[in-house]
Amino acid sequence: MELGSIRDAFDRVAKKQKLCSSKTQEVIDQVGQEIEQALAKLQALHDPSSLHDLKTILTELNGKLKEVGPINQIEGSQKELNVGLSKYAKLLEKFFNPDISKAYRNVDFDTQTINQIIACHFYRQGLFDLGDCFMNEAMEPEVTLKSPFMEMYQILEAMRSRNLEPALKWAANNRDHLVQNGSILELKLHRLQFVEILQNGSRGDALHYARTYLSPFASVHMAEIQKLMACLLWAGRLDSSPYAEFLSPTHWEKLAEELTQQFCSVLGQSYDSPLAVVIEAGFQGLPTLLKLANVMAAKKQEWLAMKQLPVPLDLGRDFQFHSIFVCPVSRDQGSEENPPMLMPCGHVLCKLSIVKLSKSSTRTFKCPYCPTEATVALCRQLHF
Amino acid sequence: MEPEPSPLSNGDSTAAGTTTAASIASAVAATAAPIQSARINHLAESLKLEHQFLRVPFEHFKKSMRSNHRIAEKEMSTVISSVSEAANRDNMSQEEAVNHLTSLVSRLQGLKRKLEEGSKSENLQAQRCRARLDHLDAAEAENLSEWNNTRLKRILVDYLLRLSYYDTAVKLAECSNIEDLVDIEVFHEAKKVIDALHNKEVAPALAWCAENKSRLKKSKSKFEFQLRLQEFVELVRADNNIRAITYARKYLAPWGATHMKELQRVMATLAFKSNTECATYKVLFELKQWDYLVEQFKQEFCRLYGMTLEPLLNIYLQAGLSALKTPFCYENDCSKEDPLSQEGFRKLANPLPFSKQHHSKLVCYITKELMDTENPPLVFPNGHVYSTKALEEMARKNDGKVTCPRTGQVCSYSELVKAFIS
Ligand SMILES: [Zn+2]
Ligand SMILES: [Zn+2]
Repeated sequence: MELGSIRDAFDRVAKKQKLCSSKTQEVIDQVGQEIEQALAKLQALHDPSSLHDLKTILTELNGKLKEVGPINQIEGSQKELNVGLSKYAKLLEKFFNPDISKAYRNVDFDTQTINQIIACHFYRQGLFDLGDCFMNEAMEPEVTLKSPFMEMYQILEAMRSRNLEPALKWAANNRDHLVQNGSILELKLHRLQFVEILQNGSRGDALHYARTYLSPFASVHMAEIQKLMACLLWAGRLDSSPYAEFLSPTHWEKLAEELTQQFCSVLGQSYDSPLAVVIEAGFQGLPTLLKLANVMAAKKQEWLAMKQLPVPLDLGRDFQFHSIFVCPVSRDQGSEENPPMLMPCGHVLCKLSIVKLSKSSTRTFKCPYCPTEATVALCRQLHF
Repeated sequence: MEPEPSPLSNGDSTAAGTTTAASIASAVAATAAPIQSARINHLAESLKLEHQFLRVPFEHFKKSMRSNHRIAEKEMSTVISSVSEAANRDNMSQEEAVNHLTSLVSRLQGLKRKLEEGSKSENLQAQRCRARLDHLDAAEAENLSEWNNTRLKRILVDYLLRLSYYDTAVKLAECSNIEDLVDIEVFHEAKKVIDALHNKEVAPALAWCAENKSRLKKSKSKFEFQLRLQEFVELVRADNNIRAITYARKYLAPWGATHMKELQRVMATLAFKSNTECATYKVLFELKQWDYLVEQFKQEFCRLYGMTLEPLLNIYLQAGLSALKTPFCYENDCSKEDPLSQEGFRKLANPLPFSKQHHSKLVCYITKELMDTENPPLVFPNGHVYSTKALEEMARKNDGKVTCPRTGQVCSYSELVKAFIS
């Protein structure tokens, strides 16, 4: 991006603006001085009643001001500035896309739906005041996600002040869900609590805590529990033990992140804000869409009627939520009617391509990618 | 029989499926570099979308300059013509002349003060233009996620301002510290006009038209005419027919040359009354005409400042939804991480086209990771496919046995076959 040259162009405009305004000031001063000189002459008149002298002074002043030509001077510098201004505007139009709405479909894009999405976004980012202000101003009805996200932020807030109680309570209440997700969040929270007690409390407290809360995990996580129990030997001086790593503050950060992840999962929500995901995809996809809209407009093709984009908008991997199979022979996208099929050699084509290659269900045919022979019967449908 | 290793191109990966450590390392290096440069390329492309971001403060800057210039010119002309007028008078006393010139001197001093004020606001606008350039310059691969976060906030503020949710807009800008990157001040100017139109007052809108006369004329805007028509209709509604006719003569007639049909139509309301049942005229008396004027004003306003007519948020939402939309999004097992698993986004995406892929892109059902050369797809005897990473891990934990999570089929890891997707 040529931001450097744009900045230079702007500096030139700003310089001209400064010149222009100092020129204006100068002209005003000049005119002011002329008037003041005439004023002094008027006051110094020997014969105040001499209308002739008075008129001479005023006519002289008038002539001098005409000579100065203040309006012309101001106009002149303004004109030069205007040239700079329009140059800069043109430069912006050249380097940037002056109309990014060219690929916009003028369809019913429901404001209320968008407002609900924005409100959810504010709440899930923890911006509750802002969310409330917005709901109020947009006169939107309550969003159901507000109170669960409030709970989540209360838990996280407590964790920031090293209070694990709300987090532990939540984890215990949602134990089944956590286990189903394969998450050991609950054990990790207890481990953190245990280490806190070990470092700040007594060995007895730590032992008591371990017996009460860690022992139920022993059957599945024996190795972990053994390590933790060994920590008891260094109670109060864990920092100089082989287990000093347990004290690292990154455990708190990581756990806060994992809790957020699990909390969203329990809510049936995504981890990332869906609005942020769509907008980011929009930023990555729009440049290609705009090029496409231009090409299609030139060919007089209908933008609105198109059911599928004719070209891929290559997004990053983070935006791949589904398996898309594209047959290497026909370039068709796999579907229920035309599913991907695995040939005995391991290569995969779509069903229609295989039917075309084989011509009949019993005949053998050659894989187009390796010389291996196959029959339709030997091909298997794949499920991604 | 094991097939020959063939090129597995899944997405942007181009490495061949050999398995020595060295070749994997070089393959990773070879794909990492294009990914990095692709990201920078993406960034450069999406920065080009930021025209409005630079254009609006520039227009604001220009506007300040224009208004200062206008003041200077007007005052100066008054002073000059006042001097020449005095020079042409024959019966002025000394005292009168002194008073006259003194008043001119103080007038010039007043002008100087005004221009100094004006120059302050010019500098502020210029500084804002620079802040925007700096912000674009600061976008780099390393801080991209934070930068993108700010961008989303900017776009949200734009949306809030356009829909007149000013309090939320100001609040969001303040709490994110992005006041220089959003156009709250510019929209404040619009707010005055919009509020007045909602109160059925046209004066601020007319003043705005006068202020931007030459530019509105250039874009062949008929907004002022529409405002005048509305004022006329209001006079007819109030049964103030004499005044209505006087008004029409003064303010509507000048538009006759270019907008005769509309002019005739609205003049005909004189023959009817505000309670007319005739559809053509009834609509002119409807109160939603005022809402229409608000919409009209917003469009003129955006055009003048070089903004898109649609909120940026809507534009990016549409592009993003099209990019993400696949037939699979509407199935029940659509991943929660996919925004299109949500009703609201599905509704918005309804009238938009599906995305298109030229190459297979396969996502592991278990790990949600992309299956490619480094993590090739493995097939269960029943045809279900998962990534090598996921199944290796499963086999390691279960003595070499793997279970298909969707069908429950159990087999040993060695029974799985590799699929080659090109
Ligand atoms: Zn083959
Ligand atoms: Zn989807």
